Amino acid sequence: MIQLKNLSKVFRTELIETHALRQIELQVSEGEFVALTGPSGSGKSTLLNVLGTLEHFDEGDYLLDGQSVRGLSDRQLSALRNEKIGFIFQGFNLIKDYSLLDNIELPLRYRGISASERKRRALEALELVGLAARKDYHPSQLSGGQQQRVAIARAIAGQPRILLADEPTGNLDSLMARQVMELLEQINRQGCTILMVTHDPDQARRASRQVQIVDGQLSDAAMYDPLAVKLA
Amino acid sequence: MEQFFYYVKVSWVSIKRAPLPYALTVFILSLGLGVFFANATFYYQMNSDPLPHKSDKLFYPMTLMVPYECNDCLPPRIHSYSNVQKLSASDIPTAKVAMYSSDGYLRLSSSQAPTPVSIRITQPAFFSMFEVPLLHGSVWSDDKARQELILSKQTAEKIFGRSNVVGEKVLLDDRHYTVIGVLDNWQMLPRLYDANNRNHVNDADQVYMPLETGYDYNYMSNSQSHTFDDTDFRQLGTQGRTGALHQLQFWVQLDTQAQQQAYRQFMDNLVADEKKAGRHQSTPNNQLVAMRDIVRFFGGESADIKAFALVTLLFLGVCLFNASHLSLNRYLSNQYEFSLRRALGASRLQLQQQMLADVLLMTLFCTLCGLLIAWGGVELLNYLWPANRLFGRWDPTLLLLLLGLTLSSSYLVTLYPSLRASFGGLNQQLKE
Amino acid sequence: MSLHLLLKSLLRRKVVTLLLLVQLALTLALLVNSLLLAGQTRDKLNEPTGLDLPHILQVQLKPTTTDLRAQPLLGDLLERQLAAVRTLPGVKAVAYANQGPVRQGGNQGNLYDPNDEARTNVPSIPAYIVSPDFFAALGLKLLEGQLPQTAVPLDGEVRSPMVLTRSLAEKIFPNRSAVGLDTSYAPVAAVVEDFFGHLMATEIMYNRIQVAPLLGVDWGYALLINTEPSATENIRQQLPDLLRQIDPNIEIFYIRTLKEQHQRLYSNEFGLATLLGILSGLMLLVAMVSSYSNAHFHALKQQQEIGIKRALGASKQLIFLELLSENWLTTALGALLGVAAALALNKMLASVISLNALSWWLPLLVSLVLLVCVTVATWYPARIATSVSPATATKTL
Repeated sequence: MIQLKNLSKVFRTELIETHALRQIELQVSEGEFVALTGPSGSGKSTLLNVLGTLEHFDEGDYLLDGQSVRGLSDRQLSALRNEKIGFIFQGFNLIKDYSLLDNIELPLRYRGISASERKRRALEALELVGLAARKDYHPSQLSGGQQQRVAIARAIAGQPRILLADEPTGNLDSLMARQVMELLEQINRQGCTILMVTHDPDQARRASRQVQIVDGQLSDAAMYDPLAVKLA
Repeated sequence: MEQFFYYVKVSWVSIKRAPLPYALTVFILSLGLGVFFANATFYYQMNSDPLPHKSDKLFYPMTLMVPYECNDCLPPRIHSYSNVQKLSASDIPTAKVAMYSSDGYLRLSSSQAPTPVSIRITQPAFFSMFEVPLLHGSVWSDDKARQELILSKQTAEKIFGRSNVVGEKVLLDDRHYTVIGVLDNWQMLPRLYDANNRNHVNDADQVYMPLETGYDYNYMSNSQSHTFDDTDFRQLGTQGRTGALHQLQFWVQLDTQAQQQAYRQFMDNLVADEKKAGRHQSTPNNQLVAMRDIVRFFGGESADIKAFALVTLLFLGVCLFNASHLSLNRYLSNQYEFSLRRALGASRLQLQQQMLADVLLMTLFCTLCGLLIAWGGVELLNYLWPANRLFGRWDPTLLLLLLGLTLSSSYLVTLYPSLRASFGGLNQQLKE
Repeated sequence: MSLHLLLKSLLRRKVVTLLLLVQLALTLALLVNSLLLAGQTRDKLNEPTGLDLPHILQVQLKPTTTDLRAQPLLGDLLERQLAAVRTLPGVKAVAYANQGPVRQGGNQGNLYDPNDEARTNVPSIPAYIVSPDFFAALGLKLLEGQLPQTAVPLDGEVRSPMVLTRSLAEKIFPNRSAVGLDTSYAPVAAVVEDFFGHLMATEIMYNRIQVAPLLGVDWGYALLINTEPSATENIRQQLPDLLRQIDPNIEIFYIRTLKEQHQRLYSNEFGLATLLGILSGLMLLVAMVSSYSNAHFHALKQQQEIGIKRALGASKQLIFLELLSENWLTTALGALLGVAAALALNKMLASVISLNALSWWLPLLVSLVLLVCVTVATWYPARIATSVSPATATKTL
């Protein structure tokens, strides 16, 4: 499903070069639920952005479904994101001026799906997150947890193969967080591959695999011990 | 005071942070104000009242005492000599004057090159009725013909090299005259005493001659004359005094309502008597127009200036809209800072004072730029419409008006955006 | 791009959108009416005059002494001036006249058929008193009758015969030849082709001409000179010295081609059209600044939204198009309002100056111009906005 080969990314300013990602080798199979962990600034968000084709990389290769994303045009990358990848952000990132339904329909709109089909699918997704009754609300009228559920509905409405979640529960209290996690697990069970960046070791443990990233490098997930990190 | 400077400083810092949007706002506002003001200058000057205390007391009578029959015509705007005599034969007006304009050539001796001059041929009451200031000498003591001229100050200086030339001799169109008076600087604007044919936009005349002398020497009007019978215009001194050769303007001063009423009655009686005597056949149509209404009555208002005034007003509107739009954008991008200040304890009043400093600063910039643009605009208008050039002048009242306009525009442009910025929900803005 | 979502987003920014709409509408209204006026002025300057405007010179002058302004000295002066001008190379014909053609107003009189005064009276006709070469000097074509060959005094026993222009002859003597018929002043000797007389006359092309000595020239008089095209400028240069050499006691007010004279007639209209043109240009500039700043500010404000959309699979191109269409939509709405505003302004202007009614294609054309300007102004900020990195934009505080 996802294959990163010797992938590196460097941020350059006039004075310094920062190696955000170094020679990453990573394989994710279909249906996996992978948790990306690591300390702040270790490069997990950058990795997630590269996986989501929101950022370019400098060396190595990234194969998505066996196809290299290197050298794809902006339009091709956009289409790829639109069809195969769903995003969930820590800050929800709903568009304030749109109703919930309009928000969820947006990726479908970009795919050129007819209005009736768009509406059907969007409602289906809202149903799944339990907010169908509020389809005409605006995001500001919802609580954080509800907003994140709408964001999830938006991410899955396009039936992506991969869901990329960047600290999806970072802005939520524990009850809300649990609801969101359950929702993600449910989506994963239905066959969607999920990569999730998280700080929370408990959440990380609920994933089928954990990958730790430190200083832009992958460290062996099996060796990962949250206690050891704490001690260090 | 110290507080005020602090506010100005804060404004200045905020301008420096994003100079382009601010510069655009000032530019657009100044553009609107400048263009508007350039045209408003002409509009204001052309519609100003040169004798505000008297312009409702001086009247221009007109009658249809003409040898043709017309039953729905306006009376002619100019009078024949004989009609003026009839209209003058009344004690009701405080003062009355007939006049017309002509031109001639002035010199000291026949060996000198002639100077073309404009001549107002009139009666002594002209100078008191229209408050013409006299620098030296006096005006004619009565309405009789005489070889005496009154010169404008510039003309005296041009011909003699000095202004006090009372008693000196001059040649006007090869005839000898004595100078008996010299006017002080005088330019009634607009020249309402001669509003026919749009003459009210012209310069004051250079030489003043008694009316009877003008007729004796056959000076014809250079503005408008009409012959409604077979009067020979080369026989002004004889036929011109009796026939229907119209070229005179005529003014009466009627200080009170009673006088005005009485004079109207006098005109009605006169015209009725004349008709009864068979001297004309038309249905009477008497007019008595006050000086302040005379330009409008003669249809001499500048349509172009008016049309352009309408358009510049629209332009000012657009610029105001645009500037407030720009300014709104600017304030909204500063909204976070506003909220922060309020969170730190600035009261709304203090924020409003800050905005007042903004307004004053904006007024300063806009007045400067606006004046510059207006100056260019006045020059352009002078170039395109040279006939109106006398009116492209600024006086203190006008400048004060501009300042007031700029201040209120700046205030308008700043008011709504600043209200939006300072009265918005504090919490929400900080959270955003 | 969805119209529905665009409208929604516009509605969320009511005040800003309204300001923009009003401004666009006023801009359109002004542009449309300036173009209309400019076109009208151009039409006036191109109207037929019946004269070879660029190659006929008019000298306006006046003797500075009283003797020279009246007969007999005046007649002698005129003869000497005409004879001298005739010798200049390139002069085809020269004549004196109490006034030239192509003027605002001047010496006018009335004229009618004595048999039918009530119906044929024309109140204001330019009355020319000229030397025999007047017709050659203006290059007028004789249509019928015979042009008078000698000057007959106006105050003599014999009436000086009259020459009428075609449209005046047809007005006073409809459906018959005017030649030989009597008018209220004198019999008609000939009819010539129409030419531009006075703007303020009953009709521009109405003119009556009598070949006669000038009685007096207190208002000055005109010398009309028909020139070879190549010699016009040269002759104009030589005239002042030549005329002063003949007699120094003259004031020359101006020497102009009739073309210049014609342009001066419409200088007010030309001035207004120029001013409105300049103002329209400024207004377009202001509209562009406004679109620019609006797009710029809006794009800044929407960075996050654009980032989200990019993450959700909108390509740069699509975002760019979205930003442009938002401006297009405002422009279209503004233009729609503008048509109404243009009609209103047209009405208001027509109440103070003479202005034609609007044609349907003018607002359309101006809307297109406006659209192009707005697009150009939006282009750069939209480009900047689309290059926002979605990764940074979707990061929250």
